[in-house]
Amino acid sequence: MRDSPYWNPKTETLPREDLRALQGIRLARLVDRAWHRSPYCRHLLDEAGVAPEDVRSFDDLRRLPFTARDEWMDCQAEKPPYGDLLAQSPEDAIRYHATSGSAGRTPLRVLDGRADWKWIAECWCYGFHGFGIRARDRVFFAFSYGTFIGFWGAHYATEKMGCLVLPSGNMSTSQRVHLIDDLEATVVCATPTYALRLAQEGVSLGIDLAAGSVKRLILSGEPAGSIPTRKRLIEKQWGAKAADTAGMTETGTITMFECEHQPGGTHIIEDHFIEEVIDPVTGETVDYGERGERVVTSFGRGMIPLIRCRTGDLVVKAPASTCSCGRTWDLYDGGIRGRVDDMLLVRGTNVYPRAVEAIVREYPGVDEFQIHLYTADGIRDEIEILCEVRPGYEDQWENIARRLRDDLSAHNEGLGFDVQSADPRSLPRFETNAKRVKDDRVVKGDR
Amino acid sequence: MTAPSAEGKDLLGNDLTAEETRLLAVWESLTALLGDDLPPSARAAVQEAVAALWQAVNDLALTDECPPV
Repeated sequence: MRDSPYWNPKTETLPREDLRALQGIRLARLVDRAWHRSPYCRHLLDEAGVAPEDVRSFDDLRRLPFTARDEWMDCQAEKPPYGDLLAQSPEDAIRYHATSGSAGRTPLRVLDGRADWKWIAECWCYGFHGFGIRARDRVFFAFSYGTFIGFWGAHYATEKMGCLVLPSGNMSTSQRVHLIDDLEATVVCATPTYALRLAQEGVSLGIDLAAGSVKRLILSGEPAGSIPTRKRLIEKQWGAKAADTAGMTETGTITMFECEHQPGGTHIIEDHFIEEVIDPVTGETVDYGERGERVVTSFGRGMIPLIRCRTGDLVVKAPASTCSCGRTWDLYDGGIRGRVDDMLLVRGTNVYPRAVEAIVREYPGVDEFQIHLYTADGIRDEIEILCEVRPGYEDQWENIARRLRDDLSAHNEGLGFDVQSADPRSLPRFETNAKRVKDDRVVKGDR
Repeated sequence: MTAPSAEGKDLLGNDLTAEETRLLAVWESLTALLGDDLPPSARAAVQEAVAALWQAVNDLALTDECPPV
């Protein structure tokens, strides 16, 4: 049993009908707890006319209302800082995290308790173990360890598994490459973009990472982890196998991972989540093979009950039999394929154009602007704000640009923005439904 | 908190293995300790242990309880 390729053989190979039954039991527990402990959820369920005792099996899922990040943010705005979503007292929390908000300056804030953090790590363990990582591995994290939840859970997962963890915190890229090389890391965790950046730095330093100790890469934060051409490039530059994973601040952890068989998609962790794929317009469930919006219900996060949360991610579900690994868990073919809304993913950070606009519009010296994304050196996503300077503000431009750069970074998880001036009347104007994004990146996630 | 699984069965109605039975016994023993008047060092250790062990009893579908920490 201890040599099992599965982290939890009992549920990873559960027949589908038993898996549905288990999800139904856990759904009933979730709704009961949410209704009794979270005022936000109780209000939501009451409005939908659903009482806890109405939910007894998986089939009752469709009676539950959808939720979304915007509504969550609204509740935090009404009752700052955490809204009334929490199902436990904030005093039970042991950590605060945040991610970029979908509008304006306010971030989405989350709290987690002791058991939550153990569960967050647990879900990552499914992914690490499923990709062949074991206690003997030395796992390097290219991660800043800030308020963005990112790889925090992955860090704890690998500690729990008994791996040697190599954190890199605020190190430079050069220092990170040296650490990977010096301590002979066998696994590297990074965004796809940064995995390529590290490889590029290795070449500059004369360190041949492709011939080195790293055998596996765990990718997260961007769709490129499942885009075949990008993935092949990463694997070639590292001489290692790469696995895609995906999570979000709303769940605190990953909900899917690519197994060692590398089926070209990510298994859904179906004993801890229910993942639906819906038509984003009608809200109706779509079939296997059809593209739709991912909706997630999470069983394990005690502080934050997550019920039918519309993620805005575009996915295509495939049956478990698509993969030869023996898991009975369905997959997302090609991982996350894009967005329903206008959210941009830039080096693992969520950027909402309307939130950027809200900040830019606070600067009277900016007359018109455009969000421009491009790929630098063929590998690195960059974001710049092109600004037409309002007449009369020309001599203040350098100061405005510096403040705007800092402001945008502070409200987008520290992401580096470039701010450049554009010639007067050179940027397009929009009367309505402004689309001020120009995306020239090699990989945008939409396929 | 909802009811634990039926005696000797997991949430899906399967008989517990010997190892699962022992795990569940440790879980019940640990959670019972949370009600005791423990010194801070022991209380924090038990809370950590409960949070950790819940992952096992939950993963194996041995209990429908939510972790009491």
